[in-house]
Amino acid sequence: MKDMVKKTIFLMVMSYIEINIAATLSNFFIIFPITFLGYSFYVYRTNSNANPIEAFLFGLLVDLIHGSYFGLNATLFCLITYLINSYSNAFKIFSYLQVCLFFGLSATAYVGFTQLVLNIYNFSYITLLVSSFFNIIFCILVAVFTSYFPKISRLKI
Amino acid sequence: MARITPTPGQKILYFLLVSLGIGILYVDINTNSFQEIKHGYKSLKISSVYILKNISIEPVRRVLNLTKSKKTLLEENKNLKKALDASYLNNYLISRENSFYKDDNILKYPLLDDDFKANYSLAKLKDLDPNIFKCCDKHRMYIELFSNSKEQSNLESVVFNKSGIIGQITNDGNYLEVILLTDVSHSIPIKSISDTFFCNAKGSGRANIIICSYNPLIWDEEILLTKTFYTSGLGGIFPRNIKIGNVINILDISPNLREIEIALSANPLDDEIFGVFKN
Repeated sequence: MKDMVKKTIFLMVMSYIEINIAATLSNFFIIFPITFLGYSFYVYRTNSNANPIEAFLFGLLVDLIHGSYFGLNATLFCLITYLINSYSNAFKIFSYLQVCLFFGLSATAYVGFTQLVLNIYNFSYITLLVSSFFNIIFCILVAVFTSYFPKISRLKI
Repeated sequence: MARITPTPGQKILYFLLVSLGIGILYVDINTNSFQEIKHGYKSLKISSVYILKNISIEPVRRVLNLTKSKKTLLEENKNLKKALDASYLNNYLISRENSFYKDDNILKYPLLDDDFKANYSLAKLKDLDPNIFKCCDKHRMYIELFSNSKEQSNLESVVFNKSGIIGQITNDGNYLEVILLTDVSHSIPIKSISDTFFCNAKGSGRANIIICSYNPLIWDEEILLTKTFYTSGLGGIFPRNIKIGNVINILDISPNLREIEIALSANPLDDEIFGVFKN
């Protein structure tokens, strides 16, 4: 229960940050799904497999917070949880760059899907491309950070 | 420790949940069925933020605003007090009850400069020992001009308050030293309203009293108690026909010496703001 509350608060904080920086970043054609990346990172780092129902419920919560259509984040959170759980052992033989590429591209896919649903009439490939670069670079920076500051990166949520 | 990949059962669950998610998404896009929940959440968020703000930030902000408004209020009060004091001085100058308006020089200045206030400067009291003022011979007061203009010397300038003339400046250092009319070393030329009696009134060393000594054999005008005296303007410092005070005591010292004590109409202890006439 305590763990769930922690995760909920974590997701809410992430959503809050995402909502607040979205307007600024959109000036540079960037969509930065920090909530999605944060959740993905949590599923990646956890020792046990994440529960799909938990992923679905967290997705619904994010939908509620973001004010997007119900089911959008729920579906995408379920999918990313499934993917990460499926490749959890494969990730161990991946290099950092590959893992970063995986998460960066997942975030790009997330951006693409959400844009398709929420913003179909103004779908922008430039936004998708720039966001893709940005998210991959962000993931690489996180990887570099965790390499140089392992103590901080080992902190459990 | 190796993590177990999703089992077939979990895969089915994933499939079901993803299908459910897509179904909900489809329903929401087409029917907007979940609007009430979204609106409910938004109103809850707004109310929560409002309540939290009221509990946490608002009290602090209120205290800060209170301090701020108190400070502004005090500042405004100070300015208003200053303006009020200045208006008292202005009233004194233009009042027909005193004789400033009769003095041609005073009337000329505003006409020439087109700025009545420019004829005198406002000053605030810096130091005046009331004990010495009540007891001793040396009656001095220190004032400071609001506008610290050093371009013009204020030496010998007349100092007045809303009731009348109180002295003249003897030293313009950092603070202006004012010798009061009651200082024993000060002398002011005065006259009666009839212009038939003139004398130099010296400070008595007592509060608000000046003494005029004269020879009754020379000045035959009858001086009675409560008679009013005015400046004669003969010294070249004080303007003419300004009310100084009333006779309160007459002492016949000898057949050829009589002293009259005049109670001044202006008391330096009454105000903190003074006017200093420009030379």
